[in-house]
Amino acid sequence: MDERRQRFEAQVLPYLDDAYRFARWLARSPEGADDCVQEAMLRAYRGFDALRGADAKAWLLTIVRNCHSTALKQQQRRAQVPLPEEQDPLDGQALIASGPDPESASIRRDEARTLERLVAELPEEYREILILREVEDMDYRGIAAVVNVPLGTVMSRLARARAALRKNWLQQVEGAPGAVR
Amino acid sequence: MPCAESLQVQAYVDGETDAMASAAIERHLEHCAECRGLHQELIELGTALRRELPYTQTPPALRAQILRALDREGGAAHPPRRTPGIWRLRSYWMGAVSGLGAAAAAAALAFVLIVPSFKSPLVDELLGAHVNSLMSSHVIDVVSTDKHTVKPWFAGHTDVSPVVADFDSQGYKLIGGRVDYLEHQRAAVVVYQHGAHIINVFSWAAGHQSLPDKVTRNGYHLMCWKAGDLDYCAVSDTAWDELQEMVRLLQGAGALEQR
Repeated sequence: MDERRQRFEAQVLPYLDDAYRFARWLARSPEGADDCVQEAMLRAYRGFDALRGADAKAWLLTIVRNCHSTALKQQQRRAQVPLPEEQDPLDGQALIASGPDPESASIRRDEARTLERLVAELPEEYREILILREVEDMDYRGIAAVVNVPLGTVMSRLARARAALRKNWLQQVEGAPGAVR
Repeated sequence: MPCAESLQVQAYVDGETDAMASAAIERHLEHCAECRGLHQELIELGTALRRELPYTQTPPALRAQILRALDREGGAAHPPRRTPGIWRLRSYWMGAVSGLGAAAAAAALAFVLIVPSFKSPLVDELLGAHVNSLMSSHVIDVVSTDKHTVKPWFAGHTDVSPVVADFDSQGYKLIGGRVDYLEHQRAAVVVYQHGAHIINVFSWAAGHQSLPDKVTRNGYHLMCWKAGDLDYCAVSDTAWDELQEMVRLLQGAGALEQR
């Protein structure tokens, strides 16, 4: 094994599980997550020299996120759905993702995993930031770098994500009918 | 209407506040019932999430597949691509290594702690770009005190040709140039040093977004003006009159260039 590969395995490979978890939360299917992580690891390996010993975890997760959005755009193009214009940060009107996806549908069968399902149902802009903070335990700076938004946006979006999740969670716990669709 | 301190309470729960800010928030919590409730909720939610969400690991087959793919790549380094996205990424990571230290950390923290209430998304972008450049210590792409080096450099790296001048004798030293991504285009940033302060002068092809002439956000002053078909914005944490003097000098140099 050459020296570059050894460095990659020492510095980046330890975060493969983080990359995989993040991809699972982003992608619409387990297969999509597999493809996304594999592509991300290849891109990371090719661009490894740009890392120069910095925060490898946040760097890798940024690449995972880019791979995911590339794949998403390709899917949309194949489906001949026009790409939406670049949008401003969510302003709180869309608290629940529109269509059910295969993953959340399969999760739905397991009622014990309520919270997991509620997180999966959050819009992506909320979900990714919440996962980076609560599951990947990243700080605001790292999140801002991964999501590529200013710190202020990280803070406000995180607050909205938590408020939305908590609201849906309470409705679920209290068993309000039709609270979470 | 939530309490104005709610984002600070969140930052406190997320461990983003230093000792002094934490103490201030703890004092606030003593007399604000709403924030006490929020504080409790955030802790509960975090605990529940960490307990309930699966901590998935990479399937062994996928890991093996990835390692095989890396084998096929070989060991040669690939040149990094110079797209704006990658560039911003690189600047952040390169900066994160060297770390400009306390000043940058303080700038970052100030930005975290003071909740922004931006009306103009462009002001938000400008301030974000300024703070990012300080945080990452990647202030400069082309290091030069010579305007005849900096100006041509922009021609190859951005879509604009801004006014570049050195005012060393007046206390504003040209230290280099940088590219930032602003309003969906590659903006030129001329970097000056005034005492211990960095002044970033952004310039980009004028868009339709209106900008305030002067605005202060989170302790940073922004002064914006238009010259020819370019929008300019100088951002710094210097005193107001010092920034104004810089802008006056730049506008004068710009007028000379036009002749």
